[in-house]
Amino acid sequence: MTIDLATNSPVFLGYAIITGALLLLAGLLLGLLRLSGRDVSSPLRTYRGWLVMIPIVLITLFLGREATIAGVTLLAGFGFREFARATGLYEDWWMTGIVYLAIFALGVVTLMTDPRLDQPGWYGFFMALPTFVIAIILLVPVVRNRAQGELQKVALAIFGFIYFGWMFMHLGFLANTPNAYGYLLFLIFAVEINDVAAFTFGKMFGKRKLREHISPNKTLAGSIGAIAVSLLLPWLLWFSFPHFSPALLILTGLIVGIGGQLGDLVISYIKRDIGIKDMGTTIQGHGGILDRVDSMIFVAPIFFHMVRWFSGAG
Amino acid sequence: MNTWKYHPSPDIGTPVADRLQRFPREPGMLAYAVRSIGALFLRAWMRVYHRLRVDGRENLPANGSYVLVCNHTSHLDTLCLLSAVALRRIHHCFPAAAADYFFTSLPRSAVSATLINALPFDRKAGGARSLGLCSRLLQEEGNILILFPEGTRTTTGAIGRFRSGIGRLAAGADLDIVPCHLEGGMRAWPKGKLLPRPRRLRLRIGQAKNFGHLDTTAASVKAVCADLQRCVTQLGGNRA
Repeated sequence: MTIDLATNSPVFLGYAIITGALLLLAGLLLGLLRLSGRDVSSPLRTYRGWLVMIPIVLITLFLGREATIAGVTLLAGFGFREFARATGLYEDWWMTGIVYLAIFALGVVTLMTDPRLDQPGWYGFFMALPTFVIAIILLVPVVRNRAQGELQKVALAIFGFIYFGWMFMHLGFLANTPNAYGYLLFLIFAVEINDVAAFTFGKMFGKRKLREHISPNKTLAGSIGAIAVSLLLPWLLWFSFPHFSPALLILTGLIVGIGGQLGDLVISYIKRDIGIKDMGTTIQGHGGILDRVDSMIFVAPIFFHMVRWFSGAG
Repeated sequence: MNTWKYHPSPDIGTPVADRLQRFPREPGMLAYAVRSIGALFLRAWMRVYHRLRVDGRENLPANGSYVLVCNHTSHLDTLCLLSAVALRRIHHCFPAAAADYFFTSLPRSAVSATLINALPFDRKAGGARSLGLCSRLLQEEGNILILFPEGTRTTTGAIGRFRSGIGRLAAGADLDIVPCHLEGGMRAWPKGKLLPRPRRLRLRIGQAKNFGHLDTTAASVKAVCADLQRCVTQLGGNRA
């Protein structure tokens, strides 16, 4: 991933055109709806959020491997911060401090060159890191000689690191693969389209609730519609990974379609258990960072390992 | 099995801009880190660029809450006072800053709240609400409040009349008030100039005063203001 590669690759240009066209289309649609006298203030806020996010994502990817890994690391750190603020773990500076350092370490080993294999990204250390981080987090109560309420803090810190840090950082590790632009752009695009599709199909045909005790707004129709769209997308965007066999395209569609919605539901029940509506207020019209990347946390590691398994180092 | 008790941050649903304007703010690790690093840079800048000299540092109370009262010549005043207090107390040192100036936009609020640790002071209605906030803050242990009783920066170099706020805060309260005088601020960063110039600064810290023996009538409030104004002027060598 370099600027040179981005300017010469049809993949990057293709996605820039597709997202640009979609944004334009959505803007026109919203404008028409507004002219016809409908209240579009809520979707307009969401749309403005996209107008900010899409250029940031495209520019970061355009700048290459280092910028992408740094960007994902930052997102993971701020995502964990939202989780810590939501659960109350933020009051424990030892725990949160260690998790922040650990997420930073994830970024470093993702950037590093594997000293044995001489490949970008120290895969072995990346996979071994959770062991050490969990060990250090478990040591904190021992060091401060305290037991009361420590299991909850330890559990929240480990979960926060593994889920929002380590699992999400697999997205950053994809930047080390030779076909990074194709994988990353497709994944980000497909996961967001999957979200939008679930919402749209749910609005249009939704009757039966999917999981009414977790997220009352999600419907079965929305879910099936989103999986259908996600199964179709890899075929339409085959140019992102021309070496994929049809079987892999189907698998990719399933991972994005099912995994994306699972990630969404996971954040939903975390929020519901805590008793808050949004994880934060960072992105206008979208809630917090975690409300936006929730699906990606689930999809990225599974997709990463699919790629690794079926095409060697990717 | 018992369910876990979560303690979400009380400002969880508020947008960042509003969160920064809230006071007291939730202590956050990120803000503390930025502020600590910022304070080190600030101290270096003050010492190297402005040759800041601090006299009477020993007059600062070691523990407990107190108020620093200073003449207001430029934005450098706050920065000078911030670099005069002990580094370990930097997160409990709150310069009162006009909410209608320092908390008007998101970038301004971000700098005021994280780097400066400012207390958004509402100048309207005589600052009654904000003064209540200040006195609650000072009742807690170990907080420092930086106050410019003139209420605005001087344009002439002369020390303006002290507003009644400091008097209302101090009269009848067992509270240490430390008068300070900063010299050179106006030359270094005149009102309206974008960047400070490398001029010398000199901060003189006077002996702490306590007005706990007074009552809270308007007359004592006036007396406190006049007394502090005299102290600050004297520290400046009667020149201002």
